Amino acid sequence: MPIHYPRAMLRAHRLHPMELWGPPHVERHEGSRHFQAYTCDIVVKAMSFIRSGGLGASKAILVPHTCDALQGMGSVLGDFLDPDQRVLTLYLPRGRRGSDHEFLQSELRRLATTLVEVSGYEPSRADWDEAFEAEDAADRALADLYQRRDRLAISDRDFYTVVRSREYLTAEQFCQQAAALPEGDPPERGVGLMISGIVAEPALFDQIEAMGAHIAGDDLACGFRRVYSVSAQADPFERAAYRLLTSPADPTCGTPIQARVETLEARMRALGARGLLIYDPKFCEPELFDVPLLRKHLGACGFPVLHVEFEMGDRLPHQTLSRIEAFVETLS
Amino acid sequence: MTRLEALPHYVESNRFEHFVNYELLGKTALRVQRWRDQWKIARRRPRPDSALNPPLRSVVHMKEIMSRHYLEGRYAAGVRKVAWVTSGAPTEPLQALGYFLVYPENHAALCGVRRKAQSIAEEAEHAGWSRDICSYARTDIGAMISGKTPAGRLPRPDVLVCCTNICQTVLHWYRVLADYFECPLVLIDTPFLYGEANDHEVAYVKRQIEDMICVAEEIAGKSLDETRFREVMTNARRGAELWLEVLNRSQQRPAPMTAFDGFIHMGPIVDMRGEAVTVAYYERLIAELDERIERGIGAIKEERYRVLWDNLPIWFKIGEFSKWLAERGVNVVASTYTFAWGELAPMIDPTQPLDSMARVYLHPILNRSTGHKLDAMKRMVDEFQLDGVILHSDRSCKPYSLGQIDQRDRLVKTLGVPALLLEADHNDPRDYSDEQGSNRLEAFIEMMEPRA
Repeated sequence: MPIHYPRAMLRAHRLHPMELWGPPHVERHEGSRHFQAYTCDIVVKAMSFIRSGGLGASKAILVPHTCDALQGMGSVLGDFLDPDQRVLTLYLPRGRRGSDHEFLQSELRRLATTLVEVSGYEPSRADWDEAFEAEDAADRALADLYQRRDRLAISDRDFYTVVRSREYLTAEQFCQQAAALPEGDPPERGVGLMISGIVAEPALFDQIEAMGAHIAGDDLACGFRRVYSVSAQADPFERAAYRLLTSPADPTCGTPIQARVETLEARMRALGARGLLIYDPKFCEPELFDVPLLRKHLGACGFPVLHVEFEMGDRLPHQTLSRIEAFVETLS
Repeated sequence: MTRLEALPHYVESNRFEHFVNYELLGKTALRVQRWRDQWKIARRRPRPDSALNPPLRSVVHMKEIMSRHYLEGRYAAGVRKVAWVTSGAPTEPLQALGYFLVYPENHAALCGVRRKAQSIAEEAEHAGWSRDICSYARTDIGAMISGKTPAGRLPRPDVLVCCTNICQTVLHWYRVLADYFECPLVLIDTPFLYGEANDHEVAYVKRQIEDMICVAEEIAGKSLDETRFREVMTNARRGAELWLEVLNRSQQRPAPMTAFDGFIHMGPIVDMRGEAVTVAYYERLIAELDERIERGIGAIKEERYRVLWDNLPIWFKIGEFSKWLAERGVNVVASTYTFAWGELAPMIDPTQPLDSMARVYLHPILNRSTGHKLDAMKRMVDEFQLDGVILHSDRSCKPYSLGQIDQRDRLVKTLGVPALLLEADHNDPRDYSDEQGSNRLEAFIEMMEPRA
C-alpha cells in the first residue's frame, strides 16, 4: 500500500513490491462491506481487490501507516479478515527529528524480523549492499527523469506512465524504461501547471493537454514526493530510515505548511508553472487541511490555486473537467 | 498585515484584569450562580411526566468548575503561559510548569452542546476548509478566524502540543493552528498499536515527552519542579481512578447515571486532570452516585434495556437522545469513549513519571487496534449486563469509526446482542437525519425486546 516504504529492505529479503493505489477500476462493493461510505477510494477499492482474490500469489500485504484510513485498513485486515497473505505494518514517524530517525531504525528492524518469516530468507551483508545499490540507482533514475523532463520528447501521459511504473517494475526494469525515453523537442506545450495531490490517473493528463496546458511539475504522492535522497550509511536500517525521512515536503509526513508553501513556490518558479492544480481523492484529510492555506500563501505569491476532488473510476466527471478548463483559461 | 494581526480577537490581558475579572468578580459570580442552581434543584418537584429521574446534584459543581476554567481562559494570555493541547496529550509537565491549558476539542464540543458548532464551522468552510474534514477542527478553525465562541474568548497559545494518540487529524489541524499563530508546535507522535507496545515505541514517546519538557521550560522561563510534577501526577492518577469508579457505578441495576451524563461529567478529567479540584469533584460525584444506588434510584425511571455507546457522542443531540431513549426504557449505561480517560489509571506511576507517561499515552483505546476495541466492547457487554450496542458511525472521526462494521457483525454473531450502526457526526447537525436515525433506533429497540 502507499506511500512510503523501504524498497531496498524488501529486495534484500528477496521480496518484490507491487503497489496498490486503488486500483481505480475495481468496484467499491466488496470494500464497502467493511468500510463506511466516507472512506477514501484508495482504501475501499484496495480492500475490494484483496477480498476478491486480486493479490494472487503474493506473500504479504504491507500497510505503511500513512493516515487514519490506512491505519483502519491495516487493523481491519489483520484483526478480522484473515487474508491469505501475512499483514505487515510499518509506522512512519511524522517528524524529522533525531528521535524520529532512531525510532524508524528500530521500527525497520522490527519489520525486518517479520520479513525473514515471510520470505524465509535472512539477507547477508552482500544482499543488503546489492539491494541498496539497485534501489538507489532506480531512485537516481527517477530524480533524473524529473530533471530531464524538459528535454524529453514525450507527452505528460507517457512521462507519468514511466514514473508510475516504479510501482510495479523491478529497479533494473525501471532504470531501463527511464533510460529509453527519447530526448528531443517536447511536444507542443501550453500553459504550465503544477499538480499536487495523492494520485492522478493517465486520462487526466490527456485531458489537460487537450485543454492547452501541460504539467510543468508535480507534487504528487505517487510522483515527486518519492524522489528520495540517496544515502551511504553503513548500517542498512540507518540507511533505509535516512532515505524515508529525507523525502520531499509531504503533508502525510507532517511537513509544516510554511515549508511546503516555500518548496512549492520555489519549484513553480523554477519550472515555469503558472498555477497549482490540487487534485485529491475524496475524503483525504491530510491533503484537505492544507488547501486553504496553500491557496492563501501561493495566491499571495501570484500563483492561483484550483482544488478539485475526484472519485476513482473509469471517467472524469464533466464538471471536474470544466473547472480545470476554466482554470487553464484564466492562466492563459 | 501579519497573520496574528488578522486575528484581532486574540488580545492579551494584564494581571490587574486577570485579578479583577477572574479572581475577584468572576469566581464570586460563579459561586453565587452555583448557590442559585443548588437552591433551584432543591426546590424542584419531581416531574411525573418525565422518563428521567432528576439530574445529579453534583452537576452544578461541575458547571462551576468548567465555567471557572473557561473564564480564566479569557484573561490568561499575557498572565500565564498558554498551551493549546490535544485531548490525549501528556499535559502533566505543562501543568506543573504553570501553563494554562486549552483543549480545542473540548471547546468544539462545548460549541456542539450549545448548538453553535454549525454556524462557527461554516466560518471555516467559507474560508475554504472542506466539509469532509473533522467537524471539531472546522469548529475550532472557524472560531479562530472569526472570534465566535460561546466561551467568550480563548487565549492565544504560546505553544501547541499535538499528540497523535487519538488520530492523525490533529496533526494536520495543529499545523494549521501553527501557521496562523506562528508559535512552536510540539509533536508527540505515538505509533499506532496494532498489537502490544514494543520497547522502541515506548522509548520513542518518552524521548518526545522529554523534548517537550525542554521546549515548555524554555517558553515558561523556568525549570520543572520535580515535587510539583509528582503532585500533578498523583492527582492525575487519583482523578483517573475516581473517574473509572464513577463509570463503573453504572454496573449497578438500575444504573445511577447514563453515558450521556458521563459525556458531560467527563469535562474535568479531560480539561483538568492533574488538578486537585478534579479529584475533589469526582469524590463528591461518587458519594452522590452511592447514595442513589443505596436508595435504588436510577438515572431513568424504568430501565428495561441497558445499552453501550461506542464512539464520540453526538453533542448536539445529547439531551434529546437521553430523553427519547429513556421514554422507551433504554438506559445507555456505558460508553467506550468516556472509559478512555479512566481505564489507564493503573498505568500512571507518580514515582516513575516519564516512563509511565510514555506507556499511558501510547495506550488510549483510539491508538489501539480494531480488535482491541472489539474485545473492550465485549468485556463491557458482560460487566455491565448489556442488552445492545449502539455504534455511532461518526463521519468526522475515522480512526474511531473504521472497523465498526466488522465489530458490529462480531458482536451480533458471537455475543448475540443487537448492535446498531448509527450514521451521524459528533458536531455537525447536517450529517444527521432525525427521521432516519429515529427509525433505526426504533428498530434496534424492537430487536432488544426479547431480552427485556
